[in-house]
Amino acid sequence: MSVSPTHTGGRVSARDIAVWDPLVRLIHWSLALAILLNGAIVDDESKLHEWIGYVALALVGLRFVWAVIGPRHARFAAFPPAPGRALRHLRAVLKGDRTVHLSHNPLGALMAYNLWLTVIALGVTGYMMTTLTFFGVEWVEDAHELLFNWLILSVALHVAGVAFDSWRSGVNLARSMVTGRKRIPLGTDVE
Amino acid sequence: MKRPAWSLISKERRAAVLAGTIVLQAICALFFIGDVVADFRHSQGSGGVHFSVETVAAVALLGGVVVLMVELRRLLTRMDEMDTGLRAASGQMAEVMNGFFQSWNLTGAERDVAIMILKGLDNETIAQVRNTAPGTVRAQTTSIYSKSGTQGRAQFVSLFMEELMSGDFGATDIAQGQSDPGTKSAAGDFPAR
Repeated sequence: MSVSPTHTGGRVSARDIAVWDPLVRLIHWSLALAILLNGAIVDDESKLHEWIGYVALALVGLRFVWAVIGPRHARFAAFPPAPGRALRHLRAVLKGDRTVHLSHNPLGALMAYNLWLTVIALGVTGYMMTTLTFFGVEWVEDAHELLFNWLILSVALHVAGVAFDSWRSGVNLARSMVTGRKRIPLGTDVE
Repeated sequence: MKRPAWSLISKERRAAVLAGTIVLQAICALFFIGDVVADFRHSQGSGGVHFSVETVAAVALLGGVVVLMVELRRLLTRMDEMDTGLRAASGQMAEVMNGFFQSWNLTGAERDVAIMILKGLDNETIAQVRNTAPGTVRAQTTSIYSKSGTQGRAQFVSLFMEELMSGDFGATDIAQGQSDPGTKSAAGDFPAR
């Protein structure tokens, strides 16, 4: 039982707001696991590598459907791909703006689209390598390699961005992708 | 620090199970579709019964995934509404409490003790939490009861219950100057959900 003597109302503490629903979280971590497995652990030539790739494709597909019919913060409408907004956001951040975004922030949104599209492109080129028409075709294999390198770079940037934004806004973003809740510090603007 | 109410927790668990089912079923659908595509490639387009049955199964699985997603969406919306209702209700409760405490001229210490009484703590625990002697707490509770015109713990608590159950906060002049029709109707609606 925790009762603090100075606690006189329900609104003195920082606010906890539910932002990421369970499906968003499950897809996020499953996709991360799929990338880790296929990138570092599973043999590239194996059948398992192919299936994990298809699962990753299905996960992104599921996320896209959810972005149309899902709840508010999961929707495309909550984080439209807008380079202009991302630039303005970047400038505001550099000036010391500490606004908290409930869904992705404009820069993070661009990264999310980038990651999803890269996974799709990886899946498509990977599938092409299994077909008779494109088996052994060099440009397809090169594209698959190149896309993988781009994906790893993007993942690194994504993690760095999460760390930076957590530090900037005071909201632990990694934690919010586990619990689904963002703890907004007192006196912070929310967008 | 603040945990959601138990009814919300059970719904959260259901939402998590639904999400897991959606992902699993989507992967199952994927395997079926993969099989269909492989069959199609081998048979050069001329499928037969096996092929059409598999296609129907794959489509049905996909349909199931969409239905589950819509169901999850509904559940999440309901949870969101409940959460809003709870917030409004707890905000209302805080207003009622502050209104009462002000009109009784409780001291700061008495306020804290009164809140702990409402939270169901007995005198001994209150003394422990506040680091005071049990005699002090007894004096404070006696003062609280006399200021509020009640004869003891049960009657004191029922004052607040009555206030919340009347469903018409505007009728009392105790929560003065804090009338907000929006939150009021939300709090009033809450038991119906």
